[in-house]
Amino acid sequence: MQLQDKRRIAILSAYALALHGFESLLPTPIPWFKPGLANIITLVALILYGFRTALMVTLIRVVLASIFLGTFLGPAFILSAGGGIASVVAMGLTIKAFKNIFGAVGISLIGALFHNIAQLSLAYFLFIQRLEPVLIISPLILLIGALTGVVNGIISDILIKNLLKKDREKIQNTGV
Amino acid sequence: MKETIKNTTVADRLLFLFLISISIAGIFISRDALSHNPDVVIEMDGKPAYTLPLYADRLLSVDGPYGDTLIEIKEGKVRVKEPHCPNQLCAKEGWISKGVIVCLPNKLVIIVGGSKKDQQPGLDAITG
Repeated sequence: MQLQDKRRIAILSAYALALHGFESLLPTPIPWFKPGLANIITLVALILYGFRTALMVTLIRVVLASIFLGTFLGPAFILSAGGGIASVVAMGLTIKAFKNIFGAVGISLIGALFHNIAQLSLAYFLFIQRLEPVLIISPLILLIGALTGVVNGIISDILIKNLLKKDREKIQNTGV
Repeated sequence: MKETIKNTTVADRLLFLFLISISIAGIFISRDALSHNPDVVIEMDGKPAYTLPLYADRLLSVDGPYGDTLIEIKEGKVRVKEPHCPNQLCAKEGWISKGVIVCLPNKLVIIVGGSKKDQQPGLDAITG
């Protein structure tokens, strides 16, 4: 791994961690309502720098956030890690399999969907083990996930475009 | 931001519509499927003795201090068919699809569609 990659991963992880921490401070009107802001950073990392960078950023974010929040290796950590990894893998595969069919918004939706599917199945198999409550909650969580997924996708898209524009300007300046 | 929304691909929009419609349909389907399946709970001497589905017809005879009581479940309704108790109040209540039939002499309580909230524990934990 090159030094530049390491630096990139460190910076992105710091951003993701900050967003994750900020999100955990927000009051939640509905218990399962979490906007998943850290996914913005994951998506930017995935589209600009590739799958491995995005996976590293997610792992670092999940582990460090759980240590800071005091949930390391607890149920919340398992759900958070499972959801995070599932969404990175799903988004990475989507980019690979359907190049140029989905934009940032579509990939963000896929990420939100698989994040929720992974969390719900983990919650069912490990903690709740009753189908009824999971079935009642699932559609609601998926609906919220679709809405926040779109918002995150739009933010990511704007971020990516601005980053690319800055990169281009930099190249032009050094070229002259 | 307007530009970003304009620049979304067809697949993006279809995926969004698909997810929204699936989850909204899911909310109604799950609510429907779970609320229309009430159980008939028969308590004897204060303890739940039988739990039966309301939508499966059957006849059931339960034992009590005053003898057998015949309970009939039919087409989503319950009644006490043949009681052997002094004033037969339970039979006079007729068919019910919701609520409670009580036969005090036989220490028998029939509950239909009891609130599930009382039986289900809430969520144990919420992720942080």
